[in-house]
Amino acid sequence: MRIPGALYAARGRAPQNEKEVPFQEILPLRLKNTVSGKADSGSDVACLQEMGVLFACLKDNEFVEKYCNKEINQFQKCYKFYMDRKFEAKKTVNQGIVQPGNNLNYKQLNKYMRRFPNPQ
Amino acid sequence: MGFVPYTTLSSLRTLKCCRLMSMYPPHFAEPILKKDSEIINKKDVSHVPIKAAPNDLSDSIFYGVLKNKLLKYITKKGNGSLAKQLLTDTLETIKRTQIERLNLINAEKENVIIDTERILVNAIENSRPLLQLSEIKRGGVKYQVPIPLTEKKSYFLAMKWLLDAAREKDRKVHLPDKLAWEILDAAHGQGRVIKKKDDLHRQCESNRAYAHYRWS
Repeated sequence: MRIPGALYAARGRAPQNEKEVPFQEILPLRLKNTVSGKADSGSDVACLQEMGVLFACLKDNEFVEKYCNKEINQFQKCYKFYMDRKFEAKKTVNQGIVQPGNNLNYKQLNKYMRRFPNPQ
Repeated sequence: MGFVPYTTLSSLRTLKCCRLMSMYPPHFAEPILKKDSEIINKKDVSHVPIKAAPNDLSDSIFYGVLKNKLLKYITKKGNGSLAKQLLTDTLETIKRTQIERLNLINAEKENVIIDTERILVNAIENSRPLLQLSEIKRGGVKYQVPIPLTEKKSYFLAMKWLLDAAREKDRKVHLPDKLAWEILDAAHGQGRVIKKKDDLHRQCESNRAYAHYRWS
């Protein structure tokens, strides 16, 4: 006589034997000793407000630039300032001088963590 | 005349960052162009190692940074002497045209610029774009996003457009003639290059809603 499968199902599934299915550590269960520099690169967007002002002026004057000298200068100055600051920031990061404090960039953090690594 | 700021043309020449593969260590100083420049304190420079001067750098009165750059963009397959000849012919054509114009009109003679270098600079400054469109992919759709330009890139684009316009011609027309016309047109704030720049600005303006897509 055939026994319907529902009778077995009522008892539920037996748990697996832990020895037969050993735990696998797919990724290491500890933090890495480094951080990536992605967050420090920042967003590339700058001078949106100046761009808006410039567009408004250009549209009002039918795209003749000589009526918008002030706006153009402001926009270019803003972008130059932004690029200069980015350049300086990159230079300080590359110098990699470690100073105490909580506002560290990724290179400084990596230097710290290399000195105090996670136990293996 | 259009907006001519005469900004720091030196930015075309000097590099801001130390090049990674540079053959010179960073403490090497740039060579100085003008011998009797008052800016430099000679005692400061006397014991500093200086980079070798580029072979196109010159103290001559005919030397111009923009002109030199344009010369390099004209050059094809390293034939610099031909490029130089072409540019000289261009400037000669401009000069002849302007002198003809000067002799034709009776009033307001001082408004005609005969100095070819000034015309060239005016043309390039007039055709410099302010913004650029860059393609950014968001949600499977490519958007044309307006982004600001660096000074160097805007000079490059201006000269490239002038040359592109000049190279689009009949086989029978010589490049110096066409280039001279394009430069004269651009210096007076009209012509194809100026139109191209204005079109780019218009396109940037119509796509300004996408400007914040540069977050990424």
